[in-house]
Amino acid sequence: MKASVASLYQSVEFHQEIPPLLIGERCNPNGSKAFKEALLAEDWDACLKVALDQEARGAQVLDLCVAYAGRDEVADMLQLTKLCAGSCKAPLMFDSTSPDTLELVLPLYPGRAIINSINLEDGGANLDRICRLAKKYGAAVVALTINVEGMALTCDKKLAVAKDIYDLAVNKHGLRPQDILFDLLTFTVGSGDETMRDAAIETLNAIKLVKQELPGVGFTLGISNISFGLRPAARKVLNSIFLHEAVEAGLNTAIVDAAKVLPYATISEEDRKICFDLLFNRHPEALMAFIDYFEQAVEQDDSESEESFSSEELLRQKILKGDKEGLDDLLTTLRGRWQPLDIINNLLVPAMREVGELFGRGDLLLPFVLQSAEAMKQSVVLLEPYMEKLADDGRTSVLLATVAGDVHDIGKNLVDIILSNNGYKVHNIGIKVSAEEIIAKAKELQVDVIGLSGLLVKSALLMKDNLSQFQAVGLTQPVLLGGAALTTKFVAVDCAPNYQQPVAYCADAFAGLKAIRDFETGKLLSTQWEESSVAKNRPGPQQEVLDRSFSPPVVPFVGRKLVTDIDAEKLFSYLNEAALFRGRWGYRRGKMSKEGYAELTINTVQPLFQRLKDQSLNEGWLQPKVTYGYFDCVSQGDSLLINSDSGEKVFSFPRQTNAPGLCIADYLRNAEEGGDKVGFFVVTLGHQLAEKTKQLYESDSYHDYLMLHGLGVELTDALAEYWHEKMRVEMGIQQVRGDMCAYVAQGYQGSRYGFGYPSCPDLGAHGSLFEMLQPEEIGVTLTESFEMVPEMSTSAIIVHHPQAKYFAV
Amino acid sequence: MRYICTCCGYVYDPEKGDSMNKIPEGVEFDDLPESWVCPLCYAECDKFDLLD
Ligand code: B12
Repeated sequence: MKASVASLYQSVEFHQEIPPLLIGERCNPNGSKAFKEALLAEDWDACLKVALDQEARGAQVLDLCVAYAGRDEVADMLQLTKLCAGSCKAPLMFDSTSPDTLELVLPLYPGRAIINSINLEDGGANLDRICRLAKKYGAAVVALTINVEGMALTCDKKLAVAKDIYDLAVNKHGLRPQDILFDLLTFTVGSGDETMRDAAIETLNAIKLVKQELPGVGFTLGISNISFGLRPAARKVLNSIFLHEAVEAGLNTAIVDAAKVLPYATISEEDRKICFDLLFNRHPEALMAFIDYFEQAVEQDDSESEESFSSEELLRQKILKGDKEGLDDLLTTLRGRWQPLDIINNLLVPAMREVGELFGRGDLLLPFVLQSAEAMKQSVVLLEPYMEKLADDGRTSVLLATVAGDVHDIGKNLVDIILSNNGYKVHNIGIKVSAEEIIAKAKELQVDVIGLSGLLVKSALLMKDNLSQFQAVGLTQPVLLGGAALTTKFVAVDCAPNYQQPVAYCADAFAGLKAIRDFETGKLLSTQWEESSVAKNRPGPQQEVLDRSFSPPVVPFVGRKLVTDIDAEKLFSYLNEAALFRGRWGYRRGKMSKEGYAELTINTVQPLFQRLKDQSLNEGWLQPKVTYGYFDCVSQGDSLLINSDSGEKVFSFPRQTNAPGLCIADYLRNAEEGGDKVGFFVVTLGHQLAEKTKQLYESDSYHDYLMLHGLGVELTDALAEYWHEKMRVEMGIQQVRGDMCAYVAQGYQGSRYGFGYPSCPDLGAHGSLFEMLQPEEIGVTLTESFEMVPEMSTSAIIVHHPQAKYFAV
Repeated sequence: MRYICTCCGYVYDPEKGDSMNKIPEGVEFDDLPESWVCPLCYAECDKFDLLD
């Protein structure tokens, strides 16, 4: 059995796939001033807040210590345990060496806690009592290597004490090895004390040795002890390096402030070397060198000593880091030396250009680019009052629109964000814009370039038509095209010939930025396309013979139903986190090391996820609703004939031209076989989320805008996944809740095909589908391009045949 | 080494290969033919990210 602990809400394994498990240390009057003050004032909500803040920043277990001179430990512990048990998702670690206290709190905790801690300081009396409690209440224990002689300093002593404790806890009291987390203690290497020079080495070696000698046990360590006495900025680096080394040695949990751990990958080679010299006692002057080095290095990149930089350089750094704090003062200083417009053109725009280059090289991830853009925007807003109206004459101007019949806003808005924060003048005229309107605006505003955006294939076709109209009225601006359904080939072959000026395909906003720069230097050309030698595969199941012996499922009803009481929280367990983090959010690992990425995930991505999850649930941004149904059908050639209340409907599907020649209609029985049953659904997250994302965009919160949109996208898919499961269960082709990882790879019977995807490409089928399911009643409507509004909606046909899987035509 | 599709979450595992694209076991991600696309969402190789 794996070692884990649990709260009321979740269980957490000691051995995380990406170690270490982080234990928050701040609910401790000696560890946090805020907590101490709250505790002394008996402000329990404020105490709880310290706990919740840690969770939000990545702590997976919360240490809770209330022992403080003059206070009643038992009463305080009971009070806070009750509060935390109900409100914290992270399991608790009771930090008390008093068996009396533990005896009272353990039975109260509705989960599996950790006791912190046991030791042999008193020869074993307390240890006996606490181990008995641990056994009785199923708790895990932290064991400190302390005995009657005191704290074990050397590797050998640590091992010896650990063995003694192990013997008592496991052999005498029957705890399982995996229930023990040894804290082999660590002491500062920063005091200059000669006897402590090897403190880090002793601890690291001891971890390796104990792991070998006492198989199965776990470890924990108060990481920050290693750097007591050093300067805060230097401690952060040293602690992070030490944590990294300890994990390599075998540490699986760590008591740290999650927010203060630097990703290993972000620490420079030079910083690492200086830390290693000190940790591994590589030369007698290592400590002095460390102190000297960080005296200077700190000035290079720590906010404490920003003074020593020129304000110009500081501004550049703030843009690169996407740091908005203190921009106001900084810009005030800079205005003393520069004209506002020069600050923009000579400082801010070049910094943003640098951001773009870093992104292009894969050295900066999209979410960070958006934070930089936010800092840029904020700077411009702060400068604006001091400028005569921004001189537009010199700046290249761009008109942006999403084409008619299409409500897709975000692609175009991201382009707006990137272009306008690189100094261009952008006229963003919105969604569902007709060709006539675009032409009128282009003339009125005398823009230099036109950019069109759209989500669906239908929108791509409209762009092509728009170009003919632009040509007919004699527009002269080059046109940039972007959106999910476009390809280089389509733009080059189908669109560009319709218009005499350059027509360029832009795969993303940065391609748009490059196109504008090319335009300025007279280098912008229409997109070219050459027949490439490699045709792309059309993957799909390779079986030759389709089993025709299956019978139709038993459906609970025929016709359609509405479901409006879905618990939004439920969707999160169907969420495809990899697609969200790496795809929608752009937190790709790319060139990062495994650890670097793990640290990014723990320190940045998970806390962000938690924050948005909590916000969207608490503020009611998610309103999942479903309309679905089961219908009698017969398959006929490449079509499916459906009998519904609103009359007979025909859905036609394409057939693969190459073997095995699949077509969705084949998966259902024809008239001779007695017909079949087929399912459909339209699911939506509701309008609220679109409202909220719009607000974020309008308030220049670019980063959160993209993140919340991305979360919405994946939650829409999660809702589809959830409802598809529900329907399989209703049809009796699946018994219970399955495994999300398997679902990603269609690990279930049958398949669901979305209209508009390759094996069922006709979005026009939404016309019939909407008559059958009437999604208008859950607030979903269609545009003239058959796009569903709100955007966070999705539709599908559900087929039960065991051989039915995705395939491309 | 396994790679994950950033569009749909599909994991390409060389130990398993990919029957939907007729790729046998034992083919590393880097050795996949140029014609290969994600078997679930048809994204191309550049949309994949190293998993481990
Ligand atoms: C996320 C997504 C969804 C989400 C959310 C949709 C949304 N955006 O709100 C959900 C799950 C709800 C969904 C549903 C559907 N989807 Co969908 N979806 C996608 C996906 C994966 C990404 C779209 C997206 O939001 N991208 C993020 C934004 C920021 O990117 P973007 O808009 O592309 O913009 C960037 C660039 O394109 C470029 N750009 C865009 N415009 C411009 C303009 C200029 C001037 C420049 C320079 C650059 C530029 O820069 C932007 C930023 O870098 C695409 C496929 C893909 N990989 O792109 C399919 C895709 C758009 N979906 C598709 C389909 C079929 C559907 C559904 C019809 C499926 C169904 N039956 O339910 C529905 C329709 C939804 C509706 N409301 O009608 C098809 C469309 C094909 C078609 N037949 O029209 C696509 C292309 C997938 C595919 N390969 O087949 N979808």
